[in-house]
Amino acid sequence: MLKLNLKFSLAFAWYYGFRTIKRGPAYVIASLSSPLTLLFLIYIISKGELIKYAVVGGFLGLVASVTFASVADAAFLRIQLRIQDLFVTSSITPTDYILGLTLSYIIFSMPGLVLYAIIGYLIHIFTIYSILYMISILVVLTISTAGLSMSIGGAVKHIRNAWGISAIMSVFLTVLPPTFYPYTYLPKYIIYILAISPTTSAAVLTQAAFGFEPLMVPMIFIFIIEAVFFFGLARFFTRWREN
Amino acid sequence: MIESFNLTKTYKGGLTAVNAISFTINKRIVSIIGRNGAGKTTLLRMLSTQLKPTSGTATIDGLDILRDPEKIRKHIVSIPQEAATIGVLTPVEHLKLFLIARGMSVSQASQESLIALKELEMLEAKDRPSDTLSGGMKRKVFVAMALAANADLTFLDEPTTGLDPVSRFEVWSAIKNLRGNIVLTTHYMEEAQELSQEVMLVDSGRILEHGNVRDLLKRFEGKVRAESFQKEDGDYSIGRTYVKYIDEEDAERYIKMGYNIRRITLDDLFVTRGVEIEP
Repeated sequence: MLKLNLKFSLAFAWYYGFRTIKRGPAYVIASLSSPLTLLFLIYIISKGELIKYAVVGGFLGLVASVTFASVADAAFLRIQLRIQDLFVTSSITPTDYILGLTLSYIIFSMPGLVLYAIIGYLIHIFTIYSILYMISILVVLTISTAGLSMSIGGAVKHIRNAWGISAIMSVFLTVLPPTFYPYTYLPKYIIYILAISPTTSAAVLTQAAFGFEPLMVPMIFIFIIEAVFFFGLARFFTRWREN
Repeated sequence: MIESFNLTKTYKGGLTAVNAISFTINKRIVSIIGRNGAGKTTLLRMLSTQLKPTSGTATIDGLDILRDPEKIRKHIVSIPQEAATIGVLTPVEHLKLFLIARGMSVSQASQESLIALKELEMLEAKDRPSDTLSGGMKRKVFVAMALAANADLTFLDEPTTGLDPVSRFEVWSAIKNLRGNIVLTTHYMEEAQELSQEVMLVDSGRILEHGNVRDLLKRFEGKVRAESFQKEDGDYSIGRTYVKYIDEEDAERYIKMGYNIRRITLDDLFVTRGVEIEP
């Protein structure tokens, strides 16, 4: 049975997530810059027509880009700081460590999410139902993207490659999927191809939940399966006890 | 007590970093010394259950590193080589997180963290983000972790590499404060001599010498090292410096002949084994 040390995961999330916001606010602004720039561009180009897509997508884009950045983060903690090695010889498991990192990204995304919530409130896109739905989607999306990122972070051999991989992932897996535009603009088969990124299924489900587009039922299964798969994958690829 | 039985590690690509090493160690502080790439870190990582051996095994107080890693981890602390602090976290936060990972409650972790930081005279810096600390202080954060964990056995991988002499001395003093037994790796001979009761000299994944420092140096009793840049028959070499071992009473004569005379250290065990060491 999977035994979790939640106390450690929460403490790690608090220190690594909250303290980073408090002592390094520039990181928060940097993580917000890309989704906010896209929001501005979409507003200008679509003459305000697609703004609601960009705001809803901004939630997803922000969480995804923060967690995709964790490719570099996970590699940095393992290769450069050797912090992961410290924990390997303690009583925690790789799952506790991954969960701690994942939760820290959720905390780290909070200021941005609050900003998007204010924008969303101002343009009247929220209902109680859509808020609850959005929170659930964001939690599952974080698990999924953090799992994927940590799996790739575990495979990174040299820290010099980590930042590049993380930037590539952030752009390709966040901006290319229909995060900031209606998913119906794309042929269905393209959506299935793009579903390799959990951001795609998250975007399709969110656009349906907010009543912007019809629901694409298979995406529910893809979204959940990917979360379980990527999180499970991370357990094997974090190079916990190395061979 | 640590017992190793033909412990071997061959990495993908064929490099054998540790080659069928067998030993028993049971002293308060034991140093594993050798050049960079000698296999020290690989050996330490296997013993501290971070790395699986290719063959052979080892036991720590009777617990097998292959069969009982979880049980072993309850009794050990391992501070990796060149471990670095997370810049935004303070020393006390590092310690608390580490102790919570070892199963302590939050309040116990807070208490133990402060005790350890006080013992290492780091209380003034406890709330400073660690990216504002000096190199020596950062290193002491990790020694404080080991101290607070109060483990039966602590592994320290090159705890003073890259530190200035004052910081190194501070870390040595901190290491001496640790409870339980300690196994450390180093390539500083004076560090091994200063800290340990027993040393193990490794090179190319094999043990060259193993024993008490005084016993190992006994063969040099009454001798000093004479160094010159001109090779004579029977000289050992350290890079382009040539070394011979002479009686202490002949030292004056050799100085007049242009030799540099040095005290015997653990370096000389390597020199006489034909291992190239840094001049």
